[in-house]
Amino acid sequence: MNRYIESESSQHVMKLVQMGGDVKVVSGKLFYVEFQVSEQLEVAYVYHLNKHNKFFLERTKPYPIPVREFDSADAICDIIKIDVEQFKNAANSHHLEKFIDINSEFHNMILTFEDLFLYYNVDHATFERIQQDIDDIHKRINDAKESASRVYFGKEPDYLEDK
Amino acid sequence: MPTEHLVMGILIFILTYIAIVSEKIHRTVIAVFGAGLMILFHVLTQEEAFSKIDFNTLGLLIGMMVIVNIIRQTGLFQYLAIKSAKLAKGEPTKILLYFSILTAVASALLDNVTTILLVVPVTLVICDTLELNPIPFIIAEIMSSNIGGAATLIGDPPNIMIGGETGLNFDDFIVNLLPLMVVVFIITVVILRFLFRKSLVSNEESKKLMLSFDEKKAITDHKLLRKSLFILAITITGFVLSELIEVPSASIAMFGAASLLLISKIEPEEVLEKIEWTTIFFFAGLFILVGSLEVLGVIEFFAAKILDLTGGSITAMTMIILWASTFLSSFLDNIPYVATMVPLVTTISEGALQTYEPVWWALSIGACLGGTGTIIGASANVVARGITEKHGYKISFFGYMKIAFPLMLLSIVIASVYLLVFYL
Repeated sequence: MNRYIESESSQHVMKLVQMGGDVKVVSGKLFYVEFQVSEQLEVAYVYHLNKHNKFFLERTKPYPIPVREFDSADAICDIIKIDVEQFKNAANSHHLEKFIDINSEFHNMILTFEDLFLYYNVDHATFERIQQDIDDIHKRINDAKESASRVYFGKEPDYLEDK
Repeated sequence: MPTEHLVMGILIFILTYIAIVSEKIHRTVIAVFGAGLMILFHVLTQEEAFSKIDFNTLGLLIGMMVIVNIIRQTGLFQYLAIKSAKLAKGEPTKILLYFSILTAVASALLDNVTTILLVVPVTLVICDTLELNPIPFIIAEIMSSNIGGAATLIGDPPNIMIGGETGLNFDDFIVNLLPLMVVVFIITVVILRFLFRKSLVSNEESKKLMLSFDEKKAITDHKLLRKSLFILAITITGFVLSELIEVPSASIAMFGAASLLLISKIEPEEVLEKIEWTTIFFFAGLFILVGSLEVLGVIEFFAAKILDLTGGSITAMTMIILWASTFLSSFLDNIPYVATMVPLVTTISEGALQTYEPVWWALSIGACLGGTGTIIGASANVVARGITEKHGYKISFFGYMKIAFPLMLLSIVIASVYLLVFYL
């Protein structure tokens, strides 16, 4: 099987280099990790372990989102541990389904926004309006934080405090 | 030797070979398992078993694998392929010729599977760009790889084994086999170009796209490339001068490999994990299996039978071995076949007054060129088909054989004439 991967890899390198890309092939191990945190909820991650001390962790379920880039392999298991704990906690919420739906909508929105920009010549006013809508959503999230009670204390939020 | 050891040894050997040929279990696993059984059932001792392993063959294979694995990181092969496709101005018939030459030359210096792993992916990209069906190119490359590999001591494992046993060196293979292989190569490529002439047409737009490729971009590490080529040149010079400097080829290859690791400063782990250890262990297992037959006297028995059959005639033996090796190698793995034939021919030739060199050349030619006849005839063919099929193009057994088998027969007719005229 390795031979076929080698062959496929050299075809990719050749095509990408000829397209003008700077290609670095990093050997390592790709991890797919799944946790069944409740009957309805499965949380899954993917990351690449290599000896170059650059690790990319991505959550693939319940919705795809890049988690972070790490310089230490040890941090990955810690982050996954906390993430799974949080989802176990979230699985008890009556709003879980809605939360996942909204997140998926956010994700779809990014893709449709990208299509809009890449396929059409959009005027400045449209961008301004979209920016305003996003600011409104940010404000709504931060306002909601102020009026809601905190349920997880294992670590501090990564982004919410900055907004 | 007790009778039960004799029966057990022959039984283990036959069953192991059947399992290897059936390809139901990985050939390396079954060869090492069979070798283990030989020792467990006291057909031969562990010391005898280890003494049967030809470390010259293994050392040469490992040394060259290290050098090749470092060279391939430099992008040299992609550079050469793009350069030659551009030299051909994107003309498919010329590309087929240039790629065949490139494959044959590379195969003469590297093992065939490695060459195929280098040339086929590049060919697929070039064919994609030129909107061409890659199958004519792949078939030409499979045949060129087997022909090129047959021309040198280091080009194909059967030659490494023959060289290891007989002391025939790099120069002997070049002097005796290269001229024949050049003729066979030219005839094969000319016929292939004629047969595929209708498929070898591309449009101007795709040619222009191909010509926009920049071969210089393919070189990933110029410094490493210079170091690798320097060591490769030194190593090949070492092979050429091996008799003069009285250093066997395995030591030259291993020294070349160690020198390249030293000056390239590449992490040895990174290179050594890419060595085809399955092939190395396969060889080790085979050497023990065949060595068991030697210990049991089976090889001696068959050697006497062959001598009786041929009446000791070198001409008859050469022709029988040439044609039998060709047909067997075109359907079966030539490595176990040659591993068995090498001690057999050695035993036959012991005490003979005439030189057995033509028989050795016949074994080499038959085993190497036989591999061109069918798509399963050599590991390189199987790998090439696998890569091509993953790319969506099917090379059927009979589709390949219809073209390659007659060409193989023609090459063996030429080889027969060559051996009869110059050696017999």
